[in-house]
Amino acid sequence: MAVAELVKSIAHTTDLRDTYVPGHRTCAGCGPALAYRLVAKAAGENTIFIGPTGCMYVANTSYACGPWAVPWTHAQITNGGAVASGIAEAFRMMIKKGKIQDKFPNVIVMAGDGGCSDIGLQAMSAMFYRGHKVLCVMYDNESYANTGIQVSPSTPYGATTMFTPAGPAIPEAKKHQMKDPMPIFLAGGHPYLKYGATASIGYPIDLMNKIRRGLAEDGPAFVHLHSPCPKGWSFPPERTIEIAKLAVETGMWNLYEVENGDWAHKKFSVMPKKLKPVDEYLQTQARFCHLQPEHVAKIQNFVNNRAKALGMEVPLPPAQ
Amino acid sequence: MPIKKKGTGLTAVADAWQLADIDVSASYPIRPYTAVMAELAKRIANGTMQCEMVHGEGEHAQFSIAHGASMAGARATTGSSGVGVTYAFETYSPIAGSRCPIQALVGDRTLDPPGDFGSEHTDCLTLRDNGWIFGWAQDAQESLDNSLMYFRIGEDPDIMLPQIVAMDGYFVTHIAQDYIMPDQDQVDKFLPKFNPKFRLDVKNPVIMGPQIEPEMGPPLEWDRHVVMTKVKEKIVEVTEEFGKVFGRKYAPFVEEYLTEDADMVFVLQGAHAVTCRSAIKYLREAGFKIGLCRLRWFRPFPDTALAQILTKFKVAGVIDTGTSYGAPCSGGVLSTEVKAAMSEVAGKPIIQSFTSGLGGETITHEEFFAMAEMMKQTLQAGKIIQGGTWVNFNDYHEGASQINAAKHEAAPSK
Ligand SMILES: Cc1ncc(C[n+]2csc(CCOP(=O)(O)OP(=O)(O)O)c2C)c(N)n1
Ligand code: SF4
Repeated sequence: MAVAELVKSIAHTTDLRDTYVPGHRTCAGCGPALAYRLVAKAAGENTIFIGPTGCMYVANTSYACGPWAVPWTHAQITNGGAVASGIAEAFRMMIKKGKIQDKFPNVIVMAGDGGCSDIGLQAMSAMFYRGHKVLCVMYDNESYANTGIQVSPSTPYGATTMFTPAGPAIPEAKKHQMKDPMPIFLAGGHPYLKYGATASIGYPIDLMNKIRRGLAEDGPAFVHLHSPCPKGWSFPPERTIEIAKLAVETGMWNLYEVENGDWAHKKFSVMPKKLKPVDEYLQTQARFCHLQPEHVAKIQNFVNNRAKALGMEVPLPPAQ
Repeated sequence: MPIKKKGTGLTAVADAWQLADIDVSASYPIRPYTAVMAELAKRIANGTMQCEMVHGEGEHAQFSIAHGASMAGARATTGSSGVGVTYAFETYSPIAGSRCPIQALVGDRTLDPPGDFGSEHTDCLTLRDNGWIFGWAQDAQESLDNSLMYFRIGEDPDIMLPQIVAMDGYFVTHIAQDYIMPDQDQVDKFLPKFNPKFRLDVKNPVIMGPQIEPEMGPPLEWDRHVVMTKVKEKIVEVTEEFGKVFGRKYAPFVEEYLTEDADMVFVLQGAHAVTCRSAIKYLREAGFKIGLCRLRWFRPFPDTALAQILTKFKVAGVIDTGTSYGAPCSGGVLSTEVKAAMSEVAGKPIIQSFTSGLGGETITHEEFFAMAEMMKQTLQAGKIIQGGTWVNFNDYHEGASQINAAKHEAAPSK
């Protein structure tokens, strides 16, 4: 693995050129849009983005108006990993044959949680398995947002979405706990996938450096990027960053890296001194406002168990 | 020097892909097309070809990989058969809509059920409305030649459309035949390097496939339709030039056989033309004035050529080797299209629909004779006596005889 040139501070980032620029129609306070800007800034100009269908395609390119100063192409919601595989191998082969003089570009898929962990998982898994030099960023707004906020595998237990309203028969709204793509992809089943990380827009320097480490790999890399969505989660747009941080402080989101494919020795990049009760986080979003104490306890329980399973040595709030 | 070879339609297309110096090919196994990928893999392994073979996790991924490669500026191929063709369905319109001229080989296979390996054209015909250009080859030589012509037409800057080199499973994909592999110099003269005006290039950034204003969509869709009319002009031009460079002359759209004095013709596409021609020799001896019109293209559909040619005859029997359940006149897709193409044409023949060769059965001489007999009744009566007929089983086929007997018992009056 080549050594990534890391970003040291926010002040340092002002030297970097923005390639995700104005010209999009995302909601005010959109977490994924901010995520895009930081990823693009970290990646630099020798970059090609692939955007499977989702908010970051539709809201970014509506009415033929797009915000990129680097090449971008649409992919279907189902096939971002496959399209990126074709792009990466085409560059490799054309450069090898001397058909083009390009420097091999950063190939980045920006896929939503629906497009990456539900309908497009096969295309991502196969891309990792084959070992293409592609970075997959799963920006996670915890729903199928672009179709009007429906439940996805990332939607937390207890959240309301259009497909999981709360009602007397189902008082907790979403009944399933969420799917975690990190162990699916990184716990050893994809031998060429050496680098994976979780990141959050609440921690921009950490995020940008994880993108750079991923891009420095000779093969594929995966970054699971928590990106709060004011529209889907029902909170005021000015609270996006605060909520992103609160997710980490409560353990609703954990920040770690897996290097050299070593799942057992993951590195925590941000470790709160102790986790705050999840209720503090749930209170900030109307999608959780119907929850009863027993539901909140269930979430706390889940969060505590996940923290333990990941190996976080940190005091946990009581689950009852 | 061109080389005389013995091989199948699949090895012939592998030859074409080698000569075209493809950069990326995406594979997934399904019979019968699979052998072309096995052939490529061998050639890549032994260094005959420099091409990245990406093993897709399914056909949807295969076509997506080729799509990505094409957007990056590579010459890319893929292929499939039967349910593999339909599994990739989502990808066809985006590939054609982004004007990526990838080439796919479809070796036809019956859709499931019944899990039949035999050839039916239904798989390929299901994607006829997606903006790909395609037609059927009747043998290995034509497969190779079509592959080269399709690259040339599809990659033309005025066209930029994906292509399918379609061929009947087994009959063309697997029967070893003599063919000529052209010389590299000839191919280089005929087929320029793929050099798209736009590709994913950081020095010249473009946004591909954005969402657009609602009123921008229909003009783009209409443009995809209009370009098909340009394809027709290119076909004429390229087929002629192909003849000059390689010395093999093809009719651009419709190959005619013994039609000069004919009052009836079979209309079909693909490999069954070979048996049809030999059946016609016997029919001629028996006094039938019958010939054959073989379509070389299905998209764009050769309506102008057919309008000129078919008006020479009194009866045209269109043979579908595929199914379209509930289609007009109990025909298949081809017969429906031929009828539509001829609907406004003055002096058109009576067009009769047949379905035959299902499940990859050979359309036997007897079956062609039976169809000719029915067409003769039509000719004599001046109208169709028996509409949409499935001519599917020989009498020597025990199961078929039982089915026939049951049919007669159920409807004794017929
Ligand atoms: C095959 C297919 N099925 C369904 C859709 C409809 N669709 C469009 S955007 C979208 C939501 C995508 O959700 P996600 O990947 O989580 O991204 P987000 O919109 O949340 O950014 C869906 C389901 C589609 N475009 N294609
Ligand atoms: S719905 Fe959510 S993800 Fe989509 S644009 Fe709005 S804030 Fe961003």
